[in-house]
Amino acid sequence: MKTLKNLFKHWEFILLLLLAAEFLIFGTVNPTKFLRPVSIMSSITNYISICIIALFVTFVMITGGIDIQASSIVGLTSIIIGVLWSDAGLNIWVAVFIAIAASALCGALSGFFIAYCGVQPMVVTLGGSFLYSGIALLVSGLSATPAYQGISGFPSKTAEGAFVNFRFLGKGTLFGVIPTQIVIYVILIILCYWLLHKTKYGRKVFLIGVNQQAAEYSGINTRLTIMSTYILTGIGASIAGVLLTANVDSAKYNLGSSFTLSIITAVVLGGTLSTGGKGSIIGTALASIVICILRYGLPLCFGISTQNLDLPVGVMLIVVVVGREIGHNQQIQMLFKRLKAKK
Amino acid sequence: MKQLKSLKNVRWLSSLAFLIVLYGITGIINPSFLSYSSILSCFNSSVVFTLLAMGIAFVIMTGEIDVSIGSVMGLTATIAGLIAQKGGSPVQMLIYAVLVGIVTGMINGLGVAFFNVPSLIFTLGTCGVIRGLVFVVADGKTTENFAGPFTNLGSKVLFANITMYFALVFILAVIVHLLLTRTKKGKYFIAVGDNPNGANLVGISVLKTKMIAYILCGIFAGISGVAFASKYGQVNIVAGTGYEMSAIAACVLGGISLSGGLGNMAGAAIGAVIMSSVSRLLVFIGLSSDYDNTITGVMLITIVVVDALMQHRSVEMARRKRLLSRTMTNETKEGGEEA
Repeated sequence: MKTLKNLFKHWEFILLLLLAAEFLIFGTVNPTKFLRPVSIMSSITNYISICIIALFVTFVMITGGIDIQASSIVGLTSIIIGVLWSDAGLNIWVAVFIAIAASALCGALSGFFIAYCGVQPMVVTLGGSFLYSGIALLVSGLSATPAYQGISGFPSKTAEGAFVNFRFLGKGTLFGVIPTQIVIYVILIILCYWLLHKTKYGRKVFLIGVNQQAAEYSGINTRLTIMSTYILTGIGASIAGVLLTANVDSAKYNLGSSFTLSIITAVVLGGTLSTGGKGSIIGTALASIVICILRYGLPLCFGISTQNLDLPVGVMLIVVVVGREIGHNQQIQMLFKRLKAKK
Repeated sequence: MKQLKSLKNVRWLSSLAFLIVLYGITGIINPSFLSYSSILSCFNSSVVFTLLAMGIAFVIMTGEIDVSIGSVMGLTATIAGLIAQKGGSPVQMLIYAVLVGIVTGMINGLGVAFFNVPSLIFTLGTCGVIRGLVFVVADGKTTENFAGPFTNLGSKVLFANITMYFALVFILAVIVHLLLTRTKKGKYFIAVGDNPNGANLVGISVLKTKMIAYILCGIFAGISGVAFASKYGQVNIVAGTGYEMSAIAACVLGGISLSGGLGNMAGAAIGAVIMSSVSRLLVFIGLSSDYDNTITGVMLITIVVVDALMQHRSVEMARRKRLLSRTMTNETKEGGEEA
């Protein structure tokens, strides 16, 4: 009994229950269509960018910051790859490398203003989201292809229809079943988990979130660490951008522009405190998958229009955060106890 | 301390100066911009943004944030559109808009102020829910083909090229600004944002103030939805997406601090005019509208960074002065003991 109670204290366990409940409900309503491993995996690959970016935004949120520019970096990465590859004639992998480096630079710029100038993270990344999406649009102007069309025709497909080279990242499968994107996602989860929970760097990130001043006094270079989290997010967003470009075979400046709210939803649902100091990679990953399955299952089993999936996700977010707040807030708990006593 | 105070008071003046400089530079590059009608058209087109920015300014002043206003605007715009299709009157639309604003504002306020959920997260949730409601209300279709004179209202000119909407919003902005700076209750918003515990101690209800801020924010967003519908003549289901970010940016440009307790209504209105002018100014400068976001981003980051550095400096100087005076008094004390 006690161990069970302890389990409930872990947010990840509740997420796992939520995931199980989803499978149970969707599975009973529409077992033939829902319970197909291939489509379940594709439901995750549909939102893989959000899942990946959420992993990295967790770092930022644990330090007490927030990053709303990541979604514009996705588009920037995509268009840089497209222009460098199709118009400048570079090798695709060189283009990918340059795009990732540019994104890291974008993250570093915002991180610098936040960490070294002391501007609120929300404001800087808001400005950053305007700036980087603007730059993406300007970069797309360099291309011979009209901006709205998107650059396509990335390498490459073999005669048998198998995806190789760059497109393998987005469309290929490992052993013929597991999509490459999921493999990359799992690798990134392990990497992030190691970085946040097993290294010195991760402890620093947590300490800064709990008390920045204490961290500063104990000899941590807090400013550099904070800046580094934004660089990480930039890199994460650009990895998502690479995968998305490879998947849809189109380099566009506005890819991913609507991701911002979903990313933050995933991170918050994963148990990360927006005030900093608490959070976990496993939680974020589980929450992302919960959202993916919800978005996949609802239209399939209950016929909800795919355009209207913000509503259930929004309801879930509100219920979860309010519930968690009631659970933690002693004043409200006292209120409930008093009400019970009166009855 | 006096310096800090005077800095606070002139904050909106500095954003006005920025607006004038922006117009001036455009005028130097292209003198044809500096005509009465083209400058006024900048003002006239800023109506929707100004309403949104003024609404969210209440919330930001109390130190919270509301990212659901874009979808609230979309919802009331859709409702207004549906009423307009049947030839209903604008008064009816406004009543619905205000009601929607009050309800959404109350829900947001309840979540943030009563349940203590971080405001960004809670309003993110309501944003998704309201966006879903837009879809339900509009039945997934773009609302268009308005009957009656509704769409003509947006371009109705009162006098000297000033549209009715702009005149109304201008008067509203002046009234709200004066209410917030001159009345006791109006100052509660700033007080709560500056120091919630302190405000509580002097008898200001933080919960109530935040509630009112969210409700006002909802009402303003609701009204801006009606203006949006009449201005564009059609409302699709994603109308207003991203407007919340522009409104927040407008407030920041107007000198309202996102950590609360700093700024005023005039700043928000001026910031909104700056935000909506940028794309128009680009036309006169001769750059393509592709530069719109880039310039907005650069402007925003530059202003907040300069502002932060300046504030940092003034705080540092005040601290130094304090330390200096303390050591001096200590020295005289010690000197006195020796004697």
